[in-house]
Order: sequence, then C-alpha cells, then structure tokens
Amino acid sequence: MSRLTIPVERHSLDNGLKIVLSQDRTVPVVAVNLWYGVGSRNERKGKTGFAHLFEHMMFQGSAHVPKNKHFELVERAGGTLNASTWFDRTNYFETLPSHDLELALWLESDRMGWMVEAMDQEKLDNQRDVVKNEKRQRYDNQPYGDWDERLQALVYPESHPYHHSVIGSMEDIDAATLDDVLSFFQTFYVPNNAVLTIAGDFDRDGALELVKKYFGDIEAGQPIPPLPGDPSIAPLIGETVREHVLADVPLPRVVMAFRIPPYSSDDFAVAEVSRGLLGMGRSSRLYRRLVRERRVAKGVVTFAFPLLTGSSMLLAWATGYPGSSAEELESALAEELEGLAEAEAHEVERAIALAETDLVRSLERAGERADLLSMFELYFGDPDRLNRELDRLRAVTVDEIRAFAGERLGADNRAVLTYEPKVSA
Amino acid sequence: MSAFDRTKAPTSGSIRKFDFPDVERRTLRDGLDLRVCKLSRLPVVSTSLFFRAGEAQLAESRAGLAVLTGDALEGGTQQRSGTELADALERLGARLGVTTGWEGTSVSMSCLADRLEEGLALLAEAVLEPAFPEDEVDRAREQQLAAIRQRAMDPSALASMEAARRYFVSGIPYARPQDGTEQSIEAVTPELLSGFVEASYRPAGGGLIVAGDLDPDEIEMMANHRLGAWTGTPQAPEEFRVDPATRERRVWVVHREGSVQSELRVGHVGTDRGTPDYFSLSIANLLFGGSFTSRLNLNLREKNGFTYGVRSRFGFRSRPGPFSVATSVGTDVTALAVREIVKELEQFVDGGPTDEEVAAARDYAAGVFGLQLETAGQIASRISQLVVYGLPDDYYHTYRDSLRAVTAGQVAAAVKRHIRPDELQIVVVGDADEIVAPLEALDLGLVEVLPTG
Repeated sequence: MSRLTIPVERHSLDNGLKIVLSQDRTVPVVAVNLWYGVGSRNERKGKTGFAHLFEHMMFQGSAHVPKNKHFELVERAGGTLNASTWFDRTNYFETLPSHDLELALWLESDRMGWMVEAMDQEKLDNQRDVVKNEKRQRYDNQPYGDWDERLQALVYPESHPYHHSVIGSMEDIDAATLDDVLSFFQTFYVPNNAVLTIAGDFDRDGALELVKKYFGDIEAGQPIPPLPGDPSIAPLIGETVREHVLADVPLPRVVMAFRIPPYSSDDFAVAEVSRGLLGMGRSSRLYRRLVRERRVAKGVVTFAFPLLTGSSMLLAWATGYPGSSAEELESALAEELEGLAEAEAHEVERAIALAETDLVRSLERAGERADLLSMFELYFGDPDRLNRELDRLRAVTVDEIRAFAGERLGADNRAVLTYEPKVSA
Repeated sequence: MSAFDRTKAPTSGSIRKFDFPDVERRTLRDGLDLRVCKLSRLPVVSTSLFFRAGEAQLAESRAGLAVLTGDALEGGTQQRSGTELADALERLGARLGVTTGWEGTSVSMSCLADRLEEGLALLAEAVLEPAFPEDEVDRAREQQLAAIRQRAMDPSALASMEAARRYFVSGIPYARPQDGTEQSIEAVTPELLSGFVEASYRPAGGGLIVAGDLDPDEIEMMANHRLGAWTGTPQAPEEFRVDPATRERRVWVVHREGSVQSELRVGHVGTDRGTPDYFSLSIANLLFGGSFTSRLNLNLREKNGFTYGVRSRFGFRSRPGPFSVATSVGTDVTALAVREIVKELEQFVDGGPTDEEVAAARDYAAGVFGLQLETAGQIASRISQLVVYGLPDDYYHTYRDSLRAVTAGQVAAAVKRHIRPDELQIVVVGDADEIVAPLEALDLGLVEVLPTG
C-alpha cells in the first residue's frame, strides 16, 4: 500500500508540556494519552518498583477528584482507561465517546498538577498491598513468571538502569515511604517531562483551548535528573552468560537474549525485521524449523524490545515437550538463530508484509494511534515518524540482516535462561 | 490564572449520534449465510468463517477433537504443505486464526483489503481441503497434550478447570476442559480428524462475515467462487441438559504446596445466551464484578488490598454456562477474601442494586459499546455473535436502547433468579496446609481437599 497519512500536529505550552493532535472524525471516539518520561530506568538502588507503584497511586485521587472517582467518572461516561509502566516511560490513557473529551483532560490535569495534597499513608498502604499481589500473581505464582527479572539481570550489568525489573523487589516496595512517593512525583510528574496526545474525533481549535485551560497553569518542574547508575554499556555481552532454574514448571523452556542497538539507533530496524524473519508467523524460521520440522519445541516466542538506554534486547524463547532435554533445545535454538546469517530476500518480504498489516490494523484504534504518537514525540520529538514506520522497515536489506545475525546472535552475545521442571513426571 | 472551578467535573458536550454500521445479508449458492459490513476508514478487512463444528457436540471420549482439528488445519491442504500454506498467507500479510469453542469453529483472517481475494482462496482451501498428514497430526496432538500438562501447573487454568467440574453435573461437555483430556487426545488419529471434518465442517447454520473496505457485490462474487460448492449440514449435536453438580454449598481445595497466592473461583451454573434476563444480568454483572468500580473490586482490591483484581462473569452459551467470580489473593487472606465474596453475593441477592449503581452501569455499558466498534475485527466478531446465537438482524441497532431500558427492579429480580448464594461451589487452588483451617472456620460448607494432579 501507499504511504500512511495519519494527520499529525505538534504544539507545546510554556510549562514545557508537549501536545500532539491527530484528528479522525469517522467514529465518535476520542483517545487521550499521556506519556511521562519516567520508568524503571529512573529508579535508584533500594527504590526499585517505584515508578510502577507510583502509577497505581495516580488512580487514588487528586485534590479535586476523590479516591475511585477517576475510574467512576470515566466508566460512567462509557469510557475505558488504564496505565502501564515500562523501562523508559509510564503512560496513562482514556478512550471515550468524543463528547466527553473535556472530562479526560480535567482528570489528567488534576493528577498532573494537584496530586500531592491528595496522597496519604492509607492509600499508599492499600496500593502497596495491591502491587504486592500483582507481583505474586504475575511473577511468583506463575510458572516462568520471573523470567524478565532473571533475564534483565543477565543481560545488563548491575550498574545499568535496566538491570532490575519494572515490578521491582518486594523489599523496596515494602520500604517505600510517603515522602519517597511525593518526591518521586515532584521530580518526574511535571509538564516538562510529559507528552499529551489527543487522537480521534475532536474539534481542533476547541481541543487546543481545552488543553490550555486545564494544563496551562501547572507549573514547570526542575529539569529531569540524569539516570542513576551507568547507562553506558558494551554493544556485546562478550560471552555466553547463563542461569539454570529448577522450578515448578510443566515443560522445559529456554529463553535467550542478545544485546542489540537501542531503539534510537537507525540499526534498530534491522533487529526488528530480523526478529520478524525469526519469529513472526508460522512460516518464520523458528516456528518452521523448531516447531514444525524438528518438533523439539511446542512453541516459540520472539521479541525485540524498543529500549532507549545504551542497549536494547532481542529475545527468543522456545518451550520444549515433557521430558525433552533443555540442552538439546538450547542448541537447536542457537543453531536456528545463527542460521539467520543465511537469510533470503523472500523472507524479508514476508516479514515486512506481516508488519505492514499489523501496523495498519493497530491504527484502527484511536487509543493505539495516540499511544504511538506519544511515544514518537517523547522519544524522538517526531510524531510524524509514525507515517514513515513502514519506510524504515522496508529499507532493511537481506545483507544487513545476515550481517546482524553474524554480529549479534552469536555465542559472544548470548544470555541463556533455562527452566527445567523440578520433578520429572 | 484558574478562572474556572476545578472542583467540578466538566459537563459533557453534545452527543454525536452513532449507530452500528449497516450489514448486508446475502445467501451464497450453497446456502451459506454471508454478512458484509462495508467500512472505509482504513484499507483493511477482517473476515471470519463460522461453522457448527463445536466441542459441545462431541461425546466425552472425543473431548478436544474439534479443538485439535481446528489446530491441525495449519498442517496443510491437498495442494500445499503446512509451511507452504503459512508462507502463502504471510506473503499477503495475512494470518489465519482458528478458534474452536463449544458452539463451533471460527476461522478468521485479517489483511489489507486489496489482498482479500487471494487470502479468501487460501482460507477456503484450508477449511475445505485439509490434508492432515500424519506428522502434522502427531505434532498437533503432542502440542495439545503438552498444553494440557501446562494447564495442570498453571494455578489460574487449574482453578477454572476444577470450577467447571464442580459447577456442572458430571458427564456433560461443560463439565470438562474444552480442549480435552490426555486420554481423549492420545486417541486421536488422522482418520478421526478427517471423519470429523466430513461430518461437521458443513456450512448450514454457519456464516461468512466480512467487515472492511470492500464492496459487498465484489465480496459475494469472491465468496461464491471460493465457497460456493461447499454444502451440507453438520452432524446433529448430542443433546444434553445442563444441571448443577450439586445444590449443596461446598468448598473444594486443590493443594498446591508453597503457593504464595490462592486462585479462587466462586460460582455455579448460570444461564444461557437466549435468556430474557440477558440485559438485566449484563448490568447486574457490571456493577457487581464486571468493572473496576464494581462492588467486588472496590471491596477486595481498593479497600482491603487482598488482590490485584477481581471479576465476576456470566458465561452465556447456547445452553446455561457458568456464573463465576474469579480472583487471585494472598495466601494469608484467602479465607477473608472468600468471606467477602460470599457476603457481597448474599447482600446483592438480598438487597439488590441501588438506582444509582444501575444508572452508572447502564451508562457505562451503552457508552463502551460504541468504543468497541472501532476496528473491522471488532465489528466482524460482533456480527459473528448474531450467527452463533441466532440473534435478530436489528439486534445491535436496538442494543443500547435495551441496555438503557434496564431498571433497578429488573436487575434485582434477575439476580434473585440467577444467583444462589446457598449453592455456591467455592474452588480454591492454594497451599492447603495454610488455608484449610481458616476456610473451615468460615463454616460455609464442607471443605474437601482434592489430590493434586
């Protein structure tokens, strides 16, 4: 298909808030999306899990919005809402029938500007319990649930901001005080560290006026402090690092990760398309070879993390069958990953075709459009990059993919995390 | 600078009218029900072929056969191997997805609109001419067996499986896992798959749904070309009556040593999709446990911090499905959480909802309905529901009015009819050593610890 033509308009307020508007009036739905430039990478030692705990506190009410009212009002309007915390950012988003745009702006501005006075110990204690249950449910009580904690610690040195996981440690979460939470808010939840995107059905001039009305009198904060630790990192791990876990898991699983160029690098596209050749769809290399032909894996998963700081991560995991050997699974996976050095052009076309459909389909939703635009504004100051996404991927050549496989997917850049069932039944 | 009152929530602007998009119905040569919804926002199309090859029509010894057949479709056709089929689809940027449920099988595909013709040809080939080569069937079977083993160690899946067994009378399909058991799956051969396709992959009672940026006439032509010769009626489903396993309230503990949380399922047999109480129960569930600000979530999560979240749900099927509350709570608060859930259910049945709760839930449901119609895939899947459950053509045009007409009195009455606190089956997957004594102290019913595995 021809180029994407998502309309993109950029504005900013005196307090530093960046604004992206993208109109589409075909359905009466509007998305409001805020990205704050703070994530787990901004957390200091002993304070891991704060960015995420804080995300929970943002739903506990602000000066003019009592506890639970945020959810209540958006749901009453027939809207949906949520938030998520990630390595480099935290996002908050609502999708609403378009006549309730102003409600979302009021709610988001109140918690950006008038949050401190509404926080108290009781709310913190409650959300600390909720977060601890989230960690138990998603990490501790779940087979393989702790893979990201373990893998990040293997791929990134202790000094690096990606060494610890987004959920953080229970001890740090237990130790969080109200003062910690307040100072975290005052440091990072400032308009000069945020992007606000409105996508969908709205009146352009009216929306901009509303943004000024609700966000204009929020004071700018201090510049954002530099990242803790040492973000610089060697491009390769330098060896094969490994961890072997005997756990209550039903099947053996091998998780492999490699350092790859950061998302901000032009070379990231090569990693992205390489990942497509390896793991997107059922004629991808890993599915075809490991699942279908050799039948050593029940399933495979691949992912290229879009991370900004020093080095990103490409991940491939394979889950074996009952009784299958983790060593054999590992060597089969390694072999197929290295085999990418013999990639062929038609595989690249296939991966791009899938990426194209995926991207266009994601743009069907106002919420997804808004989220991508916020990301491109926050990370690159260039929301229009969305319209060039496919060009960026299409520019990748098979030679670049072969070279990437040789440079990045070998034994000198490999973290291997192996899960094996505790009792073989 | 604040020249306005921040303490007041802004009032809504004027509502833009929005209706469910028009759906054209055509009948293909073979009688297949074609439903097309033209959307011109983005050059994409989502399509779904539904037919009545479902798990509910299978005898217990064949449990999981429909699921396995659906999964094995990717093994290739009379004309191409599995890899060739996948490659042909993916070169178009299309992915084929097969979902098999109680009612039937849905084969869905999304792609750019100008590639639908080629995509539909491949979809038809996969469904009409599956080959089931032995090695592909072996693989699909091994994968399903491994999934069954995985489920047995996943506390959430384990709890849902145990709940089905405790809610429904033994021997009916709903009482068993949808994808079968080790015994039923081990018995599957390529011949069984071919036999199932022969008997049940038939268009009568099914439908082809297409939503996206294409002209209905063009789609009708493509569909006739590719599916026009497909004929027949699927094998009649085995009749069964849905009864509860017991009317006595019981507590079932599945022991999981060292579990840091307990997975809870609290419920019993609910009702069917065709119930006249459908809209009342939808509103009831939203305010009770179907939204963030529901009674259950505000109590268990926001007040007590017992859990990351809790939800309740009526599983509406063509026959009565489950009504169930599901959550995962800290081991040390397991009994407290169970007590709160039962207490909330009792209060809801005894006292009904407030007018305000019902009004809020109505507004939420009616508003969110419009939000869920943004994508071709969402619209196609809504239209599928009309086919699956035999709902009238104008169903979605009156959907929001039906929600908005629900009264507090109707909700209270529906809840009394369909929720029975005295008959709850309380299923707990957790560390029995830690939780049995506190659960017994609640005195909710006999507590039985089940052997693991």
